[in-house]
Amino acid sequence: MNALLMAWKNVRRNRRRSLVTILIATVGCTAVLVASGFALYTYEMLREGAAREVGHITLASKSYFERDEETPLQYGLPDYRELTAKLTQDKRVRRVLPRVALSGLVSNGDKSVIFLGTGADIEAEAAERGPFLQLKEGSLTRATPGGPASILLGTDLARSLGAHPGAGLTLLATTTAGGINAVDVVVAGIVSTGWAELDKRLIYTDVETAQHLLVSDRVSSLAVYLDSTDLAPTVLAELAPADPAHAYKPWWEQAAYYHSVRGLYNRIFGLLGLIIAVLVFFSVSNTLAMAVVERTREIGTLRALGALPGEIVAQFVREGALIGIVGAVAGTLIAGLVVLALPYVGLQMPPPPGRSEGYPLLVNASLPLYLFTSIAMVALCAAAAWIVSRKAAQKPIVEALGHV
Amino acid sequence: MSPAAPIRPPVIELRGVSKHYRLGESDVAALKGIDLAVAAGAFVAIKGPSGSGKSTLLNICGLLDSLDGGSLLLDGEEMAARDETARTLIRRRRIGFIFQSYNLVPVMSVRDNVDYPLLLADLPLAERRRRVDATLEQVGLAGLADRLPDQLSGGQRQRVAIARALVKSPTLVIADEPTANLDTATATQVVDLMRQLGASHGATFLIATHDDRMTAHCDQVRTMTDGVLQ
Repeated sequence: MNALLMAWKNVRRNRRRSLVTILIATVGCTAVLVASGFALYTYEMLREGAAREVGHITLASKSYFERDEETPLQYGLPDYRELTAKLTQDKRVRRVLPRVALSGLVSNGDKSVIFLGTGADIEAEAAERGPFLQLKEGSLTRATPGGPASILLGTDLARSLGAHPGAGLTLLATTTAGGINAVDVVVAGIVSTGWAELDKRLIYTDVETAQHLLVSDRVSSLAVYLDSTDLAPTVLAELAPADPAHAYKPWWEQAAYYHSVRGLYNRIFGLLGLIIAVLVFFSVSNTLAMAVVERTREIGTLRALGALPGEIVAQFVREGALIGIVGAVAGTLIAGLVVLALPYVGLQMPPPPGRSEGYPLLVNASLPLYLFTSIAMVALCAAAAWIVSRKAAQKPIVEALGHV
Repeated sequence: MSPAAPIRPPVIELRGVSKHYRLGESDVAALKGIDLAVAAGAFVAIKGPSGSGKSTLLNICGLLDSLDGGSLLLDGEEMAARDETARTLIRRRRIGFIFQSYNLVPVMSVRDNVDYPLLLADLPLAERRRRVDATLEQVGLAGLADRLPDQLSGGQRQRVAIARALVKSPTLVIADEPTANLDTATATQVVDLMRQLGASHGATFLIATHDDRMTAHCDQVRTMTDGVLQ
């Protein structure tokens, strides 16, 4: 008889017990795959979000990343137009976006509030970053084309100032030279980033208005967007050595949130996987230990007929592995169904700490993850069988034959 | 003057074999200096009451248990000092077993039970099939080859066990109370079958029994009492 067929027949000897064990292996496998798939989805979402937010690669002057600026744009890029033109010649570079970091006071005449702002091409930013700003009121573009400079206000800042689209405000900031400058602006829209703390201070304006306010023709940095996030390491490895005068910083060196969430999830899901592995191990051990006791006399008979202890153990290992295979296959199928069904169910995760918006509950499917989990499940079940059957296979034959 | 009968060398020979068991604090002598020589092709019964040591003697002869003193020769080769793996490999090829409770593997069909010793011996599939079919034919179970043991009567199961013991043509067959669970008619058929197949396969039988129906068919009957062979 084929050894696997015999193993399967032995698994079916006590159908209810084997079924419960297979069920536990199935649930364990499904839980690991769904939880890990959710972690992978979260990592991917955060990775893309982080890369979109700062750009795949950020180009700035070397001092920009190394020192604090005493005045705005002190370490800005004066030659950003030439750099942009040069970078966009690379076919892998999709877009290069200039950004100006600024801060100061925004006033409605009665009240002045500190702001943290960015001068950027909002439409181009939106095209690259997707809906990174949720428009609550007004529009993202200039209120009156060709009219006065416009800004986007964070929701909480707008509430603080009692400002609405069309309202006139004044921006006040320290210039690059160290003086004070003010610019009148019109509120084009009220927006939210999803981060409550950020929305209290947020201002977006265009690059020209920011430069005009800071009295400078520099930008703080250039955000380089590539065709794919996966290209970032390769392009970085080529760009940085070719331009030693500037600093090139990849997205992952500026994505602290991504790394902290990933570290946290790795620990949580690692612990979850460990607990599931222990449960499956003990369940399979228990099932096979009972089978071993029940079949002690049979083990003695097979040993008398000339089977070596290793051959007896191998038989039980095959049985354990079969339980693992059936559990892994069933668990993989169920996890696959969950992956396919979740987009249609439309479940939402609650907002993470510090954020005001939730995100969809989706689960990624990954071939390496499925393969690794399935192999681990089979190995776990086989190991459990190996451990419980070793002693019985070594039992003195006469003792085993006399087992009742 | 008729020619002298050829002297058949013993298949198994025991010289001063002793075996002790620990029973709590006391030491029990199960075998006390056993001497026994069984010639090739012989059908030998060891008779005796329960606890006399006959099963222990058979376990030692079948290399299922080790001996504490003396020597054990199988086909002239000393077995006493062999380790468990060596004894297993010898059992695999040269010793067959028939148990009182048949000890068939319940998930294996009749054919697979009989085939198992050949599978262990690593014989080619075609040879295994030929031998299994021939042996099942000899025990009259060719038509029941695909049945499971629990679909057979006690006599049929013991015939499967006999087929399993003899299919590899062993030099020695150890049978422990092979007719104890059978009615008289079936027991007689099983003994006849054992004798017949033993002769055709050239096997030597060493049988532990206290069944007179069995001993009546044996070439030699030895009695065991308190670990001593009479």
